[in-house]
Amino acid sequence: MYRIKRKVTADSLILRIYSMFAAFILIYMTYNSFRPKADLLSNTLGIPRRLTLETYINLFTGSKFPYFILGSIIILVFSLALIVMLSSMVAYGIGRFNFRLRKGLLLYFLMGLMFPVQLGIVPIFLIIRSWGLLDTHTGVILVYAAGISMPVLLLTVFFQNLSRDIYESAKIDGASEWRIFQSIMFPMASPVIFSICIIMSVQIWNKFFMPLIFLQSEVKKTIPLGIMKYTQNLMYTVDIAMASSVIATVPILFAFFLFSRKILEGVAAGGVKG
Amino acid sequence: MIDRLKKRPYIFFILPGFLLYSLFVVYPIFSAFFTSLTEWSGIGPKSFVGFDNYIELFKNKQFFTQLTNALKHNLIIFALNTGVVLPVQIYMAYTIYNGIRGYRFFQSMIFAPQFISSTVIVFMGTLVLDMNIGIFNRILEWIGLTGWVRPWLGLPQYGIYIVWLLAAWAGVGVGMMFLVGAMKMIPEENMEAAIIDGAGYWRRLFSIILPQIRTTIFNLLILTYIFSMTSFDFSFLLGGVAGGINYSLDVMSLFFYRVAFGSDGEIGGTLDRNAMGMGTTIACVMFCFILIMALLQLYFSYRKSEVE
Repeated sequence: MYRIKRKVTADSLILRIYSMFAAFILIYMTYNSFRPKADLLSNTLGIPRRLTLETYINLFTGSKFPYFILGSIIILVFSLALIVMLSSMVAYGIGRFNFRLRKGLLLYFLMGLMFPVQLGIVPIFLIIRSWGLLDTHTGVILVYAAGISMPVLLLTVFFQNLSRDIYESAKIDGASEWRIFQSIMFPMASPVIFSICIIMSVQIWNKFFMPLIFLQSEVKKTIPLGIMKYTQNLMYTVDIAMASSVIATVPILFAFFLFSRKILEGVAAGGVKG
Repeated sequence: MIDRLKKRPYIFFILPGFLLYSLFVVYPIFSAFFTSLTEWSGIGPKSFVGFDNYIELFKNKQFFTQLTNALKHNLIIFALNTGVVLPVQIYMAYTIYNGIRGYRFFQSMIFAPQFISSTVIVFMGTLVLDMNIGIFNRILEWIGLTGWVRPWLGLPQYGIYIVWLLAAWAGVGVGMMFLVGAMKMIPEENMEAAIIDGAGYWRRLFSIILPQIRTTIFNLLILTYIFSMTSFDFSFLLGGVAGGINYSLDVMSLFFYRVAFGSDGEIGGTLDRNAMGMGTTIACVMFCFILIMALLQLYFSYRKSEVE
């Protein structure tokens, strides 16, 4: 890349203010989560009287928040595992083998990218209800696991471009199709699978619309839904809203900054293809 | 049977994903369309009514005002995203492309809100804009603009702009990174030649970069359009199921949610016995607006491949 140093004071200043603003709000929120509720409401911007871990202790012992974390983790882990398994198998089937309908089949799997979630949600809701899976994590997991369009596309491209030699030599050694896939092809796709995992995790973790419709009872809710309850009654729960928002946000951002170079490269490359 | 499957091992690989995907992604789309042709509360008998739901949606004054109001808000969000967010994204992408000092930090910070869930983003918005605990009003007082102090989140006339602002802050990084990726694909010779010709910093952006990344910009516009038309979270979180005071925060998705899953009776019409029928009708109308744009994109990318 060709770069020229230009006098960047103005640009740099603008970006700096913008970035600082985001950082400031995060720090402000984190700092406030250590202040007692009375102090927060009556003395919002004043000098803190004392800092305390009370809110966090309350959050983990006296509220349903641990359930929200558990719910979010269960949903994330299982739906991600299913997505990776199903999409890599489908992509391998389409990318590796030659058969008449493969182009049409790929298009069929890409169709899902075109439709807004609102369009199908009523029939999905009815299926889930008729299976008795409303208000269960399983229902949400199944629906998420079906959203494999994007992973199938990325992985099919990968498997198509993979040289056939490895496959042929494994075949000659007498390995079964499943074994070839499981112990040779799947591991080779791990860089692609890694970036799929990152993209999908963020999406699943922050999803709001689906859980809102499917999960009603308090102990089944996910973190975003749970926090909503606290942020809607700020007079009563401003302290808990702060602490739960911090827990929902700071660890993830920390992980993002650790891997940011790789993640952002992936995003930038994805845009060029799209 | 087993033998035939052995000859076609791909069936084993494709089938599980195919079944789940067909059931939860493809079937619901068609089913939604058929449900929109029926009168149905979701429980009990369904009766086929043809296009009556569509006619009611456009003829019933209650529904039609809500539909147009929600659609108007979606279009405002799209217009602001195109007119304000896109230029900002191009500007940010260009400075990052030029390797401004600390660009890695900047791009991470700009992208970071993508990882924050919408609930928390709304809460952060409250921390800034709220009447009592918000920082923004304090800042206004502090710099002497006391007349400007107001309950930013409580005033209907600002509602949809605040929805847009929060969504824009959360989403600006993705498009920016797409643009950075596209800019990096431009051959170095072009840039070198432009510099030798004496093209200045902004000149290079407008005469070399923008023309070369116009496909990416166009695709980004389509994505922005779909995103704007399906926006839900921020309106719901700020205004609840009712869509704020006088529907000031209402968008199409929220209107849909209110009809299909909200409590009965607050809208009127035939909703008590037709929540699912009317809900899917709204969803189908929403999809039509998206489809128009998707077809436009197909048409243009088709024409482009013809030309090349």
